[in-house]
Amino acid sequence: MDTHVFASLAQIRILLVPIGEIAQATFETYASEIRSFDALRLSDIAVEGNKDERARFQPKPLSAGHLHLNFPSHPPPHSHQPLSLIRPSHFPLAIIGITTCSRSESLPEILSQFNGTVLDMFPPTGLYPLARNCFVFEEGAVAGISSNQQHPNLIIFPENMGNRRLYVGTLLGEICSTIFGEFGVLIQRLESPLGNEYLNASLFPTLPALTDIPPSLEKKDSLPPIPSHNSQPEISKSALSKVAPSMKRNSSLGVPTVRKRISGIGAASSHGRLFKIMADFFLLAGRTEDAMIWYLEALQLLKSPLDSIWNASALEAMATIPILDAWSAGHGLQTSTSAAREPWADIADKLIQAAALYFKVSATDIENHQFLSYLYCCCILRHTSLLFAVWSAKGWGPLAFTTMLQPGPTPYLPPTLSHSESTTWANLERLSSMSGISRTAISSLLAQAHGPWLLHLGPRERVSVLEAIASTYSCLGYRRKESYILREVLGCILDLIVCGREEDAHINMQSLGNKGNVGIRLNESSDGNESILKLLKHVCKVLGVNLDAIQMVDVTSESSGQVEADEDADVYQEPFGWPELQVGVVRESVAVAEALPDFLAVAQYALSSLKTLQEFLEPGDQYHLYATAARAMQTARRRGSVKAVEYWSGRPVVSIALAPIPLIRLPIEKPLSALQPRTSDSNVILKKGGTDPFLYNPRRLNTSQGKPLVVQGETLEFVVILQNPYVFDLELQSLSLSTSGVPFETAPIPLVVPARSYHRVVLSGKARTTGSLVIRGCNVQAPGGVLREFVLPLATEEEEERLAHKRSAALCDAGRSKYSGLNSFPWEKSKSPNTETPRSCKTMLFLECKVVPEQPLLRIRRTTATHGALMLYDGEMTSIRITLENISPLPIDFVRLAFDDSTIIPAQQALAEGDMSVFETYETEYALIHRPVFSWNKNDSVTIGPGRKVTLTINCFGKVGCTEGTIHASYSYLNRNLPEGEPSSVFHTRQLSYPLMVTVYRMLESHGMDILPYPSYPMELESRYAKNNPQLFVEDKGAWCFFCLDVKNTYGTPFEVSIERVQEDVPWGESLVNVPPGSTSRLVIPLKKFLLSDEHVSKPIPTLSDRQFVVDKTKLSDAEQKIQRELFWYREELFKSLRCQWREAGGTRYGDLSLRQQRLTLTMLETLRTEKAGVQLSLMRSGDSKGIPIEQRLGKYHPPCDELVYIQVKVTNLTNTALVFTLDVHLDPHELVIHDGVLCNIPVGRLEAQESRELEVSVCFLCHGRFEILASARVLVGGSSSGTSSARLIAVVDANE
Amino acid sequence: MSHHLFILSPSDTPIYNLTYSSTKPAPTTNSPLSSNLPTWSTSAFAGTLTALSGASSTTQHTTGGGVRIGGGQDRHVIQMIANASLDAIEDVMRKEGAMYLKSVDKFNEWTVSAFITPGNTKFVLLHEAKNDEGIKSFFYEVWELYVKTMLNPFHSNQQVIRSSTFDTRVRASAKKYL
Repeated sequence: MDTHVFASLAQIRILLVPIGEIAQATFETYASEIRSFDALRLSDIAVEGNKDERARFQPKPLSAGHLHLNFPSHPPPHSHQPLSLIRPSHFPLAIIGITTCSRSESLPEILSQFNGTVLDMFPPTGLYPLARNCFVFEEGAVAGISSNQQHPNLIIFPENMGNRRLYVGTLLGEICSTIFGEFGVLIQRLESPLGNEYLNASLFPTLPALTDIPPSLEKKDSLPPIPSHNSQPEISKSALSKVAPSMKRNSSLGVPTVRKRISGIGAASSHGRLFKIMADFFLLAGRTEDAMIWYLEALQLLKSPLDSIWNASALEAMATIPILDAWSAGHGLQTSTSAAREPWADIADKLIQAAALYFKVSATDIENHQFLSYLYCCCILRHTSLLFAVWSAKGWGPLAFTTMLQPGPTPYLPPTLSHSESTTWANLERLSSMSGISRTAISSLLAQAHGPWLLHLGPRERVSVLEAIASTYSCLGYRRKESYILREVLGCILDLIVCGREEDAHINMQSLGNKGNVGIRLNESSDGNESILKLLKHVCKVLGVNLDAIQMVDVTSESSGQVEADEDADVYQEPFGWPELQVGVVRESVAVAEALPDFLAVAQYALSSLKTLQEFLEPGDQYHLYATAARAMQTARRRGSVKAVEYWSGRPVVSIALAPIPLIRLPIEKPLSALQPRTSDSNVILKKGGTDPFLYNPRRLNTSQGKPLVVQGETLEFVVILQNPYVFDLELQSLSLSTSGVPFETAPIPLVVPARSYHRVVLSGKARTTGSLVIRGCNVQAPGGVLREFVLPLATEEEEERLAHKRSAALCDAGRSKYSGLNSFPWEKSKSPNTETPRSCKTMLFLECKVVPEQPLLRIRRTTATHGALMLYDGEMTSIRITLENISPLPIDFVRLAFDDSTIIPAQQALAEGDMSVFETYETEYALIHRPVFSWNKNDSVTIGPGRKVTLTINCFGKVGCTEGTIHASYSYLNRNLPEGEPSSVFHTRQLSYPLMVTVYRMLESHGMDILPYPSYPMELESRYAKNNPQLFVEDKGAWCFFCLDVKNTYGTPFEVSIERVQEDVPWGESLVNVPPGSTSRLVIPLKKFLLSDEHVSKPIPTLSDRQFVVDKTKLSDAEQKIQRELFWYREELFKSLRCQWREAGGTRYGDLSLRQQRLTLTMLETLRTEKAGVQLSLMRSGDSKGIPIEQRLGKYHPPCDELVYIQVKVTNLTNTALVFTLDVHLDPHELVIHDGVLCNIPVGRLEAQESRELEVSVCFLCHGRFEILASARVLVGGSSSGTSSARLIAVVDANE
Repeated sequence: MSHHLFILSPSDTPIYNLTYSSTKPAPTTNSPLSSNLPTWSTSAFAGTLTALSGASSTTQHTTGGGVRIGGGQDRHVIQMIANASLDAIEDVMRKEGAMYLKSVDKFNEWTVSAFITPGNTKFVLLHEAKNDEGIKSFFYEVWELYVKTMLNPFHSNQQVIRSSTFDTRVRASAKKYL
């Protein structure tokens, strides 16, 4: 394509074209050989020639200048013909066909092909090319190709030619010589008055074909016939000297011959243009001095009247001359530096002038706009390339000249810019400071070339100009400006592609004719698509869009097992780039890729932008991109593409959790030692956190184990939370769990995640064998994409810390604009060395499950509790039956029950707090242990075969305050045949729970417990009352007492309450009373007094829980403590000897009536306890009838008045130890009685166990009346005495005696 | 005559932008080259090309009449120009210490002036006519307003400025100087 080289005006263009069927590589080889001649010395070109007009431009012998050659690869378009006179260097002046040949016979064919090509490339009316040659390289010829009879335009190179390069050089010289000859001819035509008129006819004049020119008036002046091309024209020195010196002498005079002819015609038009063309030709011919003279001449004439285009063109060409001179003058070693001005200032001035002239010109003709714009742009680019060359060559020097003269079809990059670090700021600035040209200067100059006038240009020129601008910006390191221009280049190219395709389609449709509704798909050529896409990616990257964010992956290749947990989703990311521009460029890229069409690229770009620009894209855009990508993937697949996109939508999986297994299926691990019988089996219920494996405690599950237990072969469910940040419903082709460890059977599921939401999905599967199952994450596949694994490490502390660290680092970096502009893009930043070391997979922890062997499964078939509710009376004893069924193929050989009810927890808490007194503690513990709501008879030999049923009986006890209870059945298959002989230390059980609603009615209230001494007054056993209640009457009244209790029925139905006496060695007795609703009844039963030994009574109040270090908090004195203990032990004994029960009147329900709320007072205790001494009183007569008891009636003695009688007191030690007793006798009214001796503290003496002693006190009743005698025995312990027992006697003294 | 102001964060993200049309007439420096533009094709890509080359704004000028001056310019192109001018701004900014870079770049018919705050936030103004002093004063006022906004401890230099007060004051300042 066209390159905008600074010195293009001085370069002879020689077009190299392949002819015939020549391989591209071969052509390139030969073409590069020819291209290596970029400059020819004038002295090398043959100089001998004729003296006709052809000699005018031939080089002088021994002249020092150079010819500059340029070898383009394409001819200019036909539409550029109007430029042929104003800009001859724009056209190839010669054409060289290159071909290979093996046979002589094919030469005519080659010749015709060559001629055809030339005709095809150049319009027949055009002036150029002036020389045409075809180089035929011999290849693989059997016999040498004879060239003698061939056409002169064919030049044959034998295959094994020694110095082919030299020959090529010579040939090029010959061709140039021919061109110069043709220049002469051309000038001669223009010099004619008619020619000059043609030249001045329009802004961009053309010469008509030779035949169209009317015959010249001055036929006589016409030159001799044109000789053949290969004959060298003779150039006489005189001919040249005739022209040149005269010009030097007086430039204003001009060329004498010309002057003569002008005067001859009458000078219709100025000769400015003619002189300018002459100068152009001299410049091309390498004769810069001549060219300079003629340019100055031309400028004079072109200024008035102003012919601005030609003037500008001349200025432009003049600017080229100093560079050529500088280059050829010893390759321009800079000898003197003028301090005042830069050496290129003059050149720059000329170019600025020229550009201004081009810019100002007002073209009337629409046609001319194209050329005007082109010339203007070329001029600006020429100026830019001047500055750029100087800048890139670090100043005015040989390197700069070389750059400016660089021929060739590809742009030349000087070595200062072609190394790897050329784009660094330091390097670019170094160039600026060394050359003295700032980059901004170049860029602002270059910006002048860009404007609306670019639209005037033909597409080819436009692309060429834009390309030149873009590449210059790129070299300057102005990447944003470059990308701006590149967008235009893309637009230009794509426009051509689209329009061209439409035309083709139109033509094809016409050629195919109307065939109804037949869809026709044309095979589009995909050549060059890649380059366009590359350009696109470059533009996008500069704007901060990474179109390669999603890679295309080969479907067939195995996905690599790489694990990358990219969690930048939750890490703050600084914004970068210009969102609106990014969105715009992304839209454009997708459109470009669609227009090409490259469906994979469409999908890739659309998805990449969805991923990277999600937050900036409008909903409409998101829909569009998603739909486009899906469509493109489908099309690509249909057309047999084997590539697929990576998974793209960020990180879809938020969390994975094992769905809690239903309690009924949850296996629980127990140590095998739990099966061993333990010694201290009781009272565990009192201690929370005990080690009983069968007490249900859900909290213990959470704390004790890390890995959840799952059962082999049973369905596991995992709850996966997915996210979709987009506005469309995200479709996932498959979603499955990614596991390691034991084999896991799971099926991927398709899924649609709703727009902008978190979605919960359950994935299920089965573990095949026992062991450890690790859930690494999820495998996700989008439609048309490849499977991608997202690992999800557990949020362990380390992990959290690492994330937090990363987050805080990102936050810390945010707002610090250390990297600005283009360097702030993430991919630029990551180049900096302090990147985080990637985390290895080993440090990640994953969700892990322990798979245990298959377990049997029980279910409750039926129970006797209706609706799962239990209604009990307080203290009621009943039972429920539960039927369990084994619904698994495994037998069950181990069943245990555990119970829980709502009274346990509060009691346990109260115990744990420890604020209660010893007594209360005991009561609470007693209630927990001995009176549970549920209980069962432990049965170790329960075995349930597969599919069999078993019924268990559970005893229930109504306890006030209980609202609900649960029955837990733990079961297991213990004695299974393990495949290997390894004994495992654990086994697994499952639990079946049966919750029960419990309602306990409180219907009987007992209160007012009392213990009364048995009345000592005589009662008739035969009385009617006694007959009805025989249980109330006992012998030996002193050894008995009465136990009374008031029972109130607060319920609606009558109850029968009974109290039984179950004392040892005492006949059984029962008292029964019917308590009607709302009334209170008293229960009375005689009770035999008892005495507990001191050792028994002095024991501390026990704690049932075996708790140690129970410090008594209440500070009691010893005496108080003793009393408390006595009360406690006697109460216990009392309750043991009584059994209180109730029965529903007329019903079947029965239960216990608890006495435990009743308090035992000290008085009751005294009554209950058997006295230490037994005292018996009797009255005896005195005198001769001594020893005869006085007669008594109805239990009363009737002693005589005024007569001495004896009171006989018999004291018996009832204890088993020897004690010392004293006796008090009390008489009432004592003032009417005379007694002998003292009545107080009568010593009885030491009595051995069960020993009795009788004492006598003589008294005399002084009057009639009723007397009461009371004798009480006291035990004398250590000086103090305590009363133990007493006896009473009533004596009635009357006159009846 | 329209003006376009962009405030860019250090990572080139616009945090504020303003389009202001002043009542002053735009200078007519159009070259004859940019008139009578042909329409090459109707494809979308040609549209992009037309817009980017700066042709659409000129046609707007000619066809839209006096009322729509500057209003119909392709916003995307204006942004592209502002973005592209950052190359020149960064270059000049690194070499010169000045905060106010007047007419630092020219592209199509636009002249770009810039102001760099010490925090590397860039104010980029696209304007058509020369108005150095006015633009300088305008920039200094905007800077003051910007600093006041940044004083807010909850505002970072990456965040888009949504304050309506800021907007009102910048507009007032634009009216005063531009």
